[in-house]
Amino acid sequence: MHNTATESDLAVRLTDVTFVYPGSEEPVLKGASLAIERGSFTAIIGGNGCGKSTLCKLFNGLIPHYYVGDFSGEVEICGQPANTQNVAELSRMVGYVYQDFDNQLVRPTVLDEAMFAPLNYGLPDYRVMGLQALEMCGLTHLQDRYIWELSGGQKHLLALAGALSLSPDILVVDEPVSQLDPQHARQVYEVLRSLNEHYGKTVIVIEHHTEFIADYCKEVCLMENGQVLWQLPVADGLNRLDDLARLSIQPPEVTQAAVHLSSLLRKENGAASHDQQDWPEDADGRGLSSPPESAKCMPGLHPDNAPRLGQDEVRYPVTTDEAVAYFSGMLGGRADLPGAHSSSEASGGHSRPGSRLTESGPEDAQARPIVEFKQARLSYRTIRRAEREVLRGINLSLYEGERIALVGNNGAGKSSLLRLIAGIAKPSAGAVEVMGEDTKHQSIEQLSSHVSYVFQNPEDMFIEDNVYKEVAHCLKSRAYPDAEQRISQMLESFRLESLKDRDARLLSGGQQRRVSLAIGAAVLPHLILLDEPTANLDLATREELLGTLQDLEGFVRTVVIATHDMQLVQQWATRVIVLTDGTVAGDGSAADIFADHHLISRAGLAPTQIMDTASRLDLHLTGSTPAEFAQLVHAILTGKEVPHHAACPQLA
Amino acid sequence: MQLVRSWLNKITIERIQLELMNTAYGSGHASLSRLDPRCLLIWYLFFAIVPWFISNLTVLAGMFLMMVVTTILSRVTPFIILVLCLGLIGQVGWLFILSLFFGGDISSALPLLKLTLKLSVVSLASITVFSGMDPEKISDGLLALGMPAAFSFSLSYGYRILPVLFEEFRNVLLSYRLRGKAPEEPGVMYWRMAAYYLKLLVLSFFPLMLATAKRSRTTVEALETRGFSYGMKNPAAKKLKLAHLKVSTRDIMFLSGSAVYVSLLFWISGRL
Repeated sequence: MHNTATESDLAVRLTDVTFVYPGSEEPVLKGASLAIERGSFTAIIGGNGCGKSTLCKLFNGLIPHYYVGDFSGEVEICGQPANTQNVAELSRMVGYVYQDFDNQLVRPTVLDEAMFAPLNYGLPDYRVMGLQALEMCGLTHLQDRYIWELSGGQKHLLALAGALSLSPDILVVDEPVSQLDPQHARQVYEVLRSLNEHYGKTVIVIEHHTEFIADYCKEVCLMENGQVLWQLPVADGLNRLDDLARLSIQPPEVTQAAVHLSSLLRKENGAASHDQQDWPEDADGRGLSSPPESAKCMPGLHPDNAPRLGQDEVRYPVTTDEAVAYFSGMLGGRADLPGAHSSSEASGGHSRPGSRLTESGPEDAQARPIVEFKQARLSYRTIRRAEREVLRGINLSLYEGERIALVGNNGAGKSSLLRLIAGIAKPSAGAVEVMGEDTKHQSIEQLSSHVSYVFQNPEDMFIEDNVYKEVAHCLKSRAYPDAEQRISQMLESFRLESLKDRDARLLSGGQQRRVSLAIGAAVLPHLILLDEPTANLDLATREELLGTLQDLEGFVRTVVIATHDMQLVQQWATRVIVLTDGTVAGDGSAADIFADHHLISRAGLAPTQIMDTASRLDLHLTGSTPAEFAQLVHAILTGKEVPHHAACPQLA
Repeated sequence: MQLVRSWLNKITIERIQLELMNTAYGSGHASLSRLDPRCLLIWYLFFAIVPWFISNLTVLAGMFLMMVVTTILSRVTPFIILVLCLGLIGQVGWLFILSLFFGGDISSALPLLKLTLKLSVVSLASITVFSGMDPEKISDGLLALGMPAAFSFSLSYGYRILPVLFEEFRNVLLSYRLRGKAPEEPGVMYWRMAAYYLKLLVLSFFPLMLATAKRSRTTVEALETRGFSYGMKNPAAKKLKLAHLKVSTRDIMFLSGSAVYVSLLFWISGRL
């Protein structure tokens, strides 16, 4: 944190800043100090409410000029003291992109939006500046479009362009990933990287997706309780596992896998010398029943073979590239094991799962489908009076008891498919039958007693002024006889009892999500549809959601989730339906779908770090969790497993 | 009843939103959109006020004809015309029925026709202006005519967030429907359904306001960081913003043409 750089090399310097919001007792910042060099790409991480956003609002003077609270300390921006300049002056040096960037766009067309700031400053070449900013963000071809015609990712880039138009030295971006799907998030990060590398901008992101930090940032700085705890190069920072764990920030998946592996190996070393009985339960659930051979004779097996950092600290990989090098280094001597390479061919052999399950459905041919799509098509009218077809002839049957994940990139038609099931949209051709009845002849109100639709944004569902009333609304309006009993059951199951008198709009993201699920489950529907349930949740809340999904199964037999979250798909789904461009491109089990790399890339899905690493190492992995990966590598190292046989028993 | 149902199916919020956005921004190709907004606003000012003080049927009818022409030139969407006609018929229709109750007869239709003409001229002039120019031009025109910057900005921003508000509104309404209970019987002339939907419309207002209030916080902060309040106090910024406005011969011809036509109307009516 103590930089030796001269003043003018620093983009931002905070010294002992303390700030209390007006009307609040507790300071948000408590003596925060920070120095960020020009041209760096810095991530700020920390738990919820640790003062990350507040810290960043110091940079453009919103604090203390706009939010006038108790302020002490010093802020210097590009070598100049911030307290003598107002927000307008500071904003010429610092661009800011908000988390809810949609609300930041105030003009109707793309070019207008990009020119807005230079125009306000009365700069004669505002047009050139606007165009330049669009160029940097790769939006030049969209300059005449209206804002409401843009996709989420394009809107984010436009917000970025708007902030760049004054060509500030520093760019602050608040949680770029949280509102975007993985593909668009990556696109935004690529732009940020080019701004940093080619245009020399200092980029500061608030972020808790450590995979993105590992791939793009150079420096990471951790905040806790209103203070900057440390500021380190990314690879070192993300290896401070204790700090991250304490603040429930998940390290990158490959880091977790490496940690897991080394603890397995360490345990084994212990087990080999003392107590071999411990092995089976320590290893995994795959039923490795025989005790391992002595670990001592395994080359490259000791965890201490990992590259070292400082004194006794082991340095784990944080990016996929590093992980590939790390694990292949460990596997080095074993890479030519029989079967280790054949796994990719094996997976290529059954790589067309799309055709396999689409028509046939599950084994039980007698089962009556809950939902049936018959050549269903859906088109919308756009502002330019053109018809746009979002679903082109869908044939699908969904059965009771299935946990279905609907995946595909933005605009592939996931939400439209859900809306057809819920009867919110009616097919423009073909038919959709729910519980054997055509949705065309049913109103939304009638359908919704069988089908619950949970919005992507929980806030859109809140129509009452407290949680109890939200959950009760439907039961009361439809006069269910056992309403009271059900409400208390729901409040209990979704852990909402203590929150029942609070306004749902003011709860945290995870709590809001629980309320929305309780609302959906309250009518005990046959089918529940969840649109992006893990979007914009931080990772701790996301874990919590997985638990809540388990709770949901007590009430609902069939769950359909539209999601970008491949980890969720792997951990939860029994059936995966891949949509591309309004058609079903694949339908099968998670393992089948993920084995088909061609399908994955065609559907624009973002493989997780673990999936990526495994495929680059030619390992065939059924699961996708870091623990499963570590177990697989461990099994190969100990010579117990021939990789693809272990992973794919049916091929053995 | 089938007809009513198919009509009801056509009137969706999406549809209304599309039509509104088309009316506001779909005017890029209208020949009127090439005129200077200041001229068009002054022109509008005349036709929005003067008809109220004229009772000569010839002049009013002449003005009406002119407005029909300009409305066509502004490429208005059929939806807006439909709403206008419904409004006019409704307004004047019930006045006429009321007049019958108070001993009026068919002769009371004549003054009502005059009122209708006045209303039509004013309404069509409004449609011409607001559909022939996009909100950006109107906002620039108002700013140039000396309106405060905050006012002209809110006009264009109002249009900008219209789709956002519609989206929000749709979601709230949907939430009510997904968790509510529609009447089982539609009732005579669908009155139960109508009452149900009207109730939802009113109920949706409150959640909509709360959601909007939450949004505006970011907007206000972002405006600050992008120099909006700085620009409002900066005369150079205003000048720059309006530099693209130019009165061309086309504008002069439009204004003088209108003036000649209106004087001609007065002259003819004096002759008759």
